[in-house]
Amino acid sequence: MNRILVLLSVLLLLAITQLYAQNPTRISIKGIVQDTNSAVLADATVMLLSPSDSSLVNFGNANEKGVFEFRNVKNIPYLLKISYVGFLPYQQHLTPSPTAINDLGFIKIKPISQELLEIVVKTAKAPLSIKGDTIEYNAASFKVPPGSTVEDLLRKLPGIEVDGSGNIKAQGNDVKKVTVDGKTFFGDDPKAATKNLGAETISKIQVFNRKSDQATITGVDDGSKEKTINLELKENFKKGEFGKITGAVGTSDRGVLRGNYNRFNKKEQFSVIGYANNINETGVNWSDYGEFKGNNTFSSFDNGDFGFGSGGDAFFIGGDDDLLSSFNGKGFTNNLGGGVNYNYTNDKTKLSTSYVYNQTKLNLDQNQNKRTFLQNGSFSTLDTSSTVSFRANHSISGRWEQMLDSTNTLITKANLRFSNSNSAVGTRQEYINNNDALQNRINLNNSSNLNAYNLNGTAIFRHKFKKTGRVFAASSSFVRSTTDGTDNIRSLTQFFEASNPNDQIRAIAQLNQNANRTLTLKAGLNYLEPLSKRFFWENFYNFSNNQQNVGRDAYNGLIETQRYDSLSTYYENQITYNRFGTGLRFNKKGINLSLGVAALRYDLTGKVYPTEGGNLTTQISKQYDAIVPNFTATFNPQQSTYIRFGYGINVNAPSISALQPVIQNTNPFYITEGNQNLNPTKSHDVNLSISRFNQSNFTSINLWMNYNYYLNQVVYNQTVDANLVTRTRPENMSGAESFRTNLYSSFPIIKTKWTTNLSVNYNLSNTPTLVNSVLNTTNSNAYSANIGFSITPSDKIFVTLGGNYSINNIKYSIETRQNQNIISKGLNIDAKWSFIKKTFLESSFNYTGYENDRFNFSQNIPILNISVRRLLMKDNRLEARLAAFDVFNKRQAITQTGSQNFVTYQQAFTLARYFMLSLTYNVRGHDAKLKKNGNMF
Amino acid sequence: MKKIFLLALLYIAYFTSFGQNNEGVVYFTRTTYWTKLNSTLTYLSKQEKERMSYMFGGKDDWANYTLLYFNDNESKYVNSEEKNDESEGYAWRKEAYSIGRNFTKNTMTDVIEMLGKTYIVEDSLKLPEWKILNDLKEVAGHICMKAQVEDPIKSQKITAWFAQDIPSQAGPERLWGLPGMILELDINDGAVTVVASKIEFKKVDKELEPPKKLKGKKITDAEYQGMIDKFIKEKIKEEINPFWVIRY
Repeated sequence: MNRILVLLSVLLLLAITQLYAQNPTRISIKGIVQDTNSAVLADATVMLLSPSDSSLVNFGNANEKGVFEFRNVKNIPYLLKISYVGFLPYQQHLTPSPTAINDLGFIKIKPISQELLEIVVKTAKAPLSIKGDTIEYNAASFKVPPGSTVEDLLRKLPGIEVDGSGNIKAQGNDVKKVTVDGKTFFGDDPKAATKNLGAETISKIQVFNRKSDQATITGVDDGSKEKTINLELKENFKKGEFGKITGAVGTSDRGVLRGNYNRFNKKEQFSVIGYANNINETGVNWSDYGEFKGNNTFSSFDNGDFGFGSGGDAFFIGGDDDLLSSFNGKGFTNNLGGGVNYNYTNDKTKLSTSYVYNQTKLNLDQNQNKRTFLQNGSFSTLDTSSTVSFRANHSISGRWEQMLDSTNTLITKANLRFSNSNSAVGTRQEYINNNDALQNRINLNNSSNLNAYNLNGTAIFRHKFKKTGRVFAASSSFVRSTTDGTDNIRSLTQFFEASNPNDQIRAIAQLNQNANRTLTLKAGLNYLEPLSKRFFWENFYNFSNNQQNVGRDAYNGLIETQRYDSLSTYYENQITYNRFGTGLRFNKKGINLSLGVAALRYDLTGKVYPTEGGNLTTQISKQYDAIVPNFTATFNPQQSTYIRFGYGINVNAPSISALQPVIQNTNPFYITEGNQNLNPTKSHDVNLSISRFNQSNFTSINLWMNYNYYLNQVVYNQTVDANLVTRTRPENMSGAESFRTNLYSSFPIIKTKWTTNLSVNYNLSNTPTLVNSVLNTTNSNAYSANIGFSITPSDKIFVTLGGNYSINNIKYSIETRQNQNIISKGLNIDAKWSFIKKTFLESSFNYTGYENDRFNFSQNIPILNISVRRLLMKDNRLEARLAAFDVFNKRQAITQTGSQNFVTYQQAFTLARYFMLSLTYNVRGHDAKLKKNGNMF
Repeated sequence: MKKIFLLALLYIAYFTSFGQNNEGVVYFTRTTYWTKLNSTLTYLSKQEKERMSYMFGGKDDWANYTLLYFNDNESKYVNSEEKNDESEGYAWRKEAYSIGRNFTKNTMTDVIEMLGKTYIVEDSLKLPEWKILNDLKEVAGHICMKAQVEDPIKSQKITAWFAQDIPSQAGPERLWGLPGMILELDINDGAVTVVASKIEFKKVDKELEPPKKLKGKKITDAEYQGMIDKFIKEKIKEEINPFWVIRY
């Protein structure tokens, strides 16, 4: 039909062209612009448009007499358009002219009601759309309370009046008809639509004169026009929902159930999420977490700690991050969790609330071989342990960000969390002495349960002054936490070298009741003053006060009324931190320098009592002052090239657990005791980074270096007695240092098809410790290298290949014969292949090898996972997947560490081979193609 | 009576300003809305776009500032030294970016740092294919009319609002050629907006002077467009957002 029309018009056009064949090819078009009172409109803008698509062909201005003329223009049809401030844009169709001059004479253009122009265009900042006689209002620009009807909205529009009974007048004339998207709504009564429709469903209101129904039906224009209002509905009303659910069953009783559902509109986001499984997914993955938290995902970075470096303890802002999966690869877990989240966002308010519950039950069997070096030899410990533990958390969080006005912003957030956990650990430990003889054997059966609650809140206020760049900020926060728990310690120890039969066996049965209460209060102030365009002056103040009350009552595990006074205690610790700092910033086109200094003071007090309410036995009170400098420099010499250098001194208070004067004897062969005399650790920190990215070929290279030197570092000094019982106690020691460096590069080998990345690391550390009062310095030199290739030969096959090798050379000054190399190496291949439409084969192969020359230890673990998935149903809503995990049944977790005066390797059992069939239903449908860069945008 | 008074006032304002409104500087705020920008990428699925806007919606805008100097004959559009609220006293290197238009000589002289190099685009001006629409709105105190143009290389639909009472063909970014100064741009439904906040009518001869030394590789407009086209196609194929690197 359309084609015929086009053809006809072309023919018509040809006919016209024929008819006017004698028309001149070039003509002049002229006229005089006036208003309806025949007053001249000087300088009016006059445009010639192409009538088919309104494209601009030519334009000019009328002169001071309102006269315009286009000279020597093509003699074709035009749309003449004249615009003038305060007047309706004028339009007139021009046909090709038979004469050389097309004189249009006087053109009268109509003024727009000033009221309308002022209110719609200036006050409401909404475009006023004019199409011939139609004036269009943008509904979003006129604020009405939620739940309002269209009638309420119309009352707000300039030029429209609504009387008490709902009759509407537009520009003084009665409105006879209200249509919705051009259609009559509920019969002829115009009020039916305006009284029944919600204002929030409307995007535009158009007011125009429409031919009377009579004229429309008969086709005879009787000239009578009716004022009509048309309501245009919002396209999708900005509302939506999405969600998915997955169910899976596998061999060896494996199963998974997980799902999430979200509903949202422009301002609100609501989501629920839930999961249950026994395949070691202790939470949800990052993309599901993002969908759950919505636009509140990244708010946990609100920082109330002002100034440079690490100022005291970082602000503790608990969230429901524990919904994120965080499995460490060891053991078997049963998991259950879920939550609800609600966000509200508008221009000024961002509100988020959520509730989350999660629980995990862990079964873990592991073996550990540890060799400890002493000044005159070494001994080994062989552990076999079995753990059953359970933990559950409830967490309620809220965050409220409010722009109070254009200069003030307030962020408040709070989190309340309850958790309970219990665990039972059975361990058999054998101590092999320097002569390879079994010296001791211990069987431990410890159990514990713990109830904890934590409430924290933070408020951050920011004020921007009128002067650009001047900013003031203040923050305060508190953390209240309480834990109550009991430890049940049972052990039986055999001393094979004891000559006295009474010393050959020892049994411990002990019950500890622990109660901890902590209150932390923090506050911060920050003020930034622009001294000039280039210089800024920053001032900050940080305060924190941490009070801790710890009570422990140790009892005979068999006779619960018998208290062990030597193992019981009640103490109070208080750490107060004050820091004031000032700094100068300089910036100029890619150079930023910042030089600052801060004075800080720690006040540490500790009081120890034999029991709660008892007489004070020990009191410690100390003060620690320091002046710390800080310098950073960044350079951005050319596009995508950054150099950063920084130097600073960090001072950190000892951890609360290191300060506790409590004897931990859960393992009678490894006894730790806190030290209330600890001083804060001071460290010099130097870092340098250089990065360069070539935008045209996407080659990047990054170099990063960091050096730390520690003074008064908290180290755990050891005394090992003849029975191989280790007593360890944190003490301050200077001289530790560490140096770390990394070089990374990524570059394409074949554009769009093959990229390579390379990475080289070197870490050096020197750690001093006292072992039986002899200084041992552990020197570790760790080298590692990675290479990886990412290959995408077509849209249907993606392959990544990688290899890595790392070697850690560890030297012990106390026992150089024990110097050793810990080696690990790996190879991985991942492939994705869309071999039939909507069907994907995905596999990954990981080969890891572990070696230690001293232990004569060498273990290789090949892991192969393969799965096939197919998308089904309309929009690919259903995904069926058949997967084989760990085809060779080899999975286990191996950890090798070497530090201080020991080296360990640990082997933990975990979920190995299983097969699983899963079905996922996704409301939005699944992606039907492979993604090249994961979630990168 | 009130109407007449208003009208009279408007006339007076109009005529008094008229003598001076052909030379000055326009201050623009250029805001990038990243989720909207990312939503225009063809390789992202509907699901990814929705997740993105769900996670970042309402918190994804980034503003910087630009200046447009103009007189009867020419215009120059550059990045401003002004910093946005998040800068807190730090300043990053500004990339070379200067868009020069000479309407009498019909020439362009653009200095653009892009893909690691500085290019000088020198060519004659080719009028964008504007379509003029009928909507009116106010921008920075001026009643503006709506016009549209398409950029097929960057797949952009650009809406411009031009002032009816500033008789200059100048405009922000690389756009020009309307019967009035362009005071607002909206690229792809709000992915990037460039909105005038203030207009100062004053002598700007000094600012309009071309940079003394032009360092960079000289290319024609066609070569410049070709380079962008090739880069965008390549990155889209790799499923990498080309607009992390080049100006949207």
